[in-house]
Amino acid sequence: MPPRIPGGGCRPQQLLTSLEAPTPSCTLPAPALALRPRQPPTASSSRPLSTTPRCSSKTESTKPPPQLTRVRRKFLDFLEHSSMLRKSKVLKEPTYLSNNVVTRSEGEVVQRDMPFPNNPYFRSQSVLSAVSRERVWSEVMEGGMPIKAVAAKYSVDVRRVTAVVRMMEIEKRWEREGKPLAYAYARSMGHLVPQHNVRAESKFEPINDLHVHSHTMQQLFVPTSESRHFTRADAARAFGEHILPPEARMRIPELVDMERKIAQGVPPPVAGAEFIAAARESEQEIAARNFERARSKEARTVRVQTDRFEFRFEKIDSEAVGPKGRSRTAVGWRYGVPLMDRRRAEVKIPTSMD
Amino acid sequence: MRQRRFHGLKRIRVRQTWNKYNLFNLWRLRTPPYLWRTFFQQKWTAKSLTRGYHGEHIKEHRWERMFSRRLLSAVNMDPVYMAQHDGSEQAAGRGSGLKTRPDPDNKHAVGPRNNANMRLATPYMQMAYAPMERRLDIAIFRALFASSARQARQFVLHGAVTVNGRKMTHPSYLLNPGDMFQVEIDKVMLGTGKPKPAAKTQRPPKSAPKQEASDVDEADADAEAAESEATEAVSEPVDVEALTKQHQATLKELKDRAQEALDAQDVRLRAKQKQSLRKFVHDIKSTMSRTGKRGSDAPSTSELTDLEAGLSSMLEDLSLTPTQRQDKARQAQQQKEGGGADNNEHALTKQQLELLHDIMDRHRENPVDSSKPYATPWKPRDWMAPFAFIPRYLEVNPRICAAVYLRHPVARPGLAEVPTPFSFNISQLAFNWYLRRR
Repeated sequence: MPPRIPGGGCRPQQLLTSLEAPTPSCTLPAPALALRPRQPPTASSSRPLSTTPRCSSKTESTKPPPQLTRVRRKFLDFLEHSSMLRKSKVLKEPTYLSNNVVTRSEGEVVQRDMPFPNNPYFRSQSVLSAVSRERVWSEVMEGGMPIKAVAAKYSVDVRRVTAVVRMMEIEKRWEREGKPLAYAYARSMGHLVPQHNVRAESKFEPINDLHVHSHTMQQLFVPTSESRHFTRADAARAFGEHILPPEARMRIPELVDMERKIAQGVPPPVAGAEFIAAARESEQEIAARNFERARSKEARTVRVQTDRFEFRFEKIDSEAVGPKGRSRTAVGWRYGVPLMDRRRAEVKIPTSMD
Repeated sequence: MRQRRFHGLKRIRVRQTWNKYNLFNLWRLRTPPYLWRTFFQQKWTAKSLTRGYHGEHIKEHRWERMFSRRLLSAVNMDPVYMAQHDGSEQAAGRGSGLKTRPDPDNKHAVGPRNNANMRLATPYMQMAYAPMERRLDIAIFRALFASSARQARQFVLHGAVTVNGRKMTHPSYLLNPGDMFQVEIDKVMLGTGKPKPAAKTQRPPKSAPKQEASDVDEADADAEAAESEATEAVSEPVDVEALTKQHQATLKELKDRAQEALDAQDVRLRAKQKQSLRKFVHDIKSTMSRTGKRGSDAPSTSELTDLEAGLSSMLEDLSLTPTQRQDKARQAQQQKEGGGADNNEHALTKQQLELLHDIMDRHRENPVDSSKPYATPWKPRDWMAPFAFIPRYLEVNPRICAAVYLRHPVARPGLAEVPTPFSFNISQLAFNWYLRRR
């Protein structure tokens, strides 16, 4: 049984407040980078303490001025000493709480890129600068480089490359249309958020990420002969029939092929050119597949244009209702399956926007 | 139940806002000592602390339905390692993996391995609130398009947000990987910009000399109020006449300078720049003609001050002060005489020209516009810098105020992508609370 707070029952709120009121020793930072020790509240202190209300100019206001408690005084001190964090306009580089006023009493090292001094696992990582976005866009749209090759060249995730191109297209279109863009906002974000300029040799982020499948998070004991050549593919199969080996799950598997060629003695420029060709081929395949899918869907659809709507009729199979007749994708009303579509007060938030 | 303060000093709650009280609370947030409390109490405290930050505007039962015990993580694979090894080396020997030849210098020598990750533990527990980051309103806040999650929610509800080009009015919409969301630019500028100074109320003139301007404490972060007080104190109705005259003189000077910039032959202005300058000249002329009049049509002193401030800042950036103008004229003459032989002088003017173009562009991009609901020209709001970070699962284009939700946030060795201000212990306890084995 834990000791109770004298005089009170085990009320959690009381526990909370007693817990969270930090002792001065742990709240105040270490003396090295500490705040200037506060002057004792004497008459010589310039700040009015309790007699003069702070907002004396608002004499008309009926609201009583906030009491200058100990915490509030600390708060005001904090504001005074972290005034460099205030002026976002004049700051020309990312400035976080951790690199200015905070030192940890526990002796932990607080890095400059930690916006949250308590959480060393979250870092303010850099974002692509405007110049980088422009360059990535021009490589893809003007240079005609395959997306995978651009991603590998600058070490930027494939999904990010596509997103950059997609948004740059909108930006260019708006510029052509003369729509006012948020240049001022973008400029100050460029100062406040760490920026990364893409270069061929510098890495921005990991590009060969594999999602850790929950089936592979267990520990397995697979009895096998000592002489067996047990590879990654075998390990994947041991975890489950549907688990694919890493080679099949990588976003740019062509990179492994390229490295393999280099290891076999192919000169790197040649291997690089072959990599670009392979990437282009795979992207063309994907494009062809998407085109074919869209074409077949169009072939299945009958469009009827009226003056107000365009009706699209698609052939469906009413028998495709799954083994128990309750498939989620089945169309139409089925006996015994509640249809919530028209129920009152049913909020239907879309799950995807295409 | 009594409504508690959102940003209180007494009870530390870190919120998803860019508020200065919040910054202070974040600064003094510490992991509470847990030794003498029951496990339930520890979890309860951790839960209430973390929920105060992560989607405090979302009802608890909603969050409980969103919570997932499956925490996503990712590992990076090194293609060089994958090309050279097929993984069988890890099962070599008696199953503990291939080791390099014993090295007397390096006792911890290991065999070939995937070196693309940091050699640190994966902080899974910091991912407890990862499903929250999928919500549209919180993603807007994370993309720095709103100053708080609640403001982001309001933007969505007011119809200022589109997802994949279609209007979306549900803040609880869960973004799918690849979704692009856009917020109206004006809303973003309003949310992240400095607020417009409040309209000055007409007060009867006081006979006693004002003392507020000197009394106001700067640390109170009411500097704006102080400034407005000061300007008000200056613009007493007593010396309106003199002030107007002064304004007129300044305006005339500005007009002349703008006209000169327009007339200068060696300065090649673009059509738009010329247009904007002409508009400014026109504005000044009309204002000056109105200052001569009396009655309702006469411009207010505040209007004059605004115009003057905007114009002077614009023209001062052009570096066309009278002495500089003389210098420039001399340079132009020298160039004419020398036939452009003096390369050094020529380069200087070119630089100046570029600067001029740059500054003109900047003023066109960020104009003074009293119709906007925020202070113009736009400036980032105070206390924003310590909160300005963009997590890697978003790709943001700030010029069009659009962002793409690339993927779900993941944990990697040494890093967790969910922005949470709490330490590992608190997050772990909160995660344990939601496992519902209490």
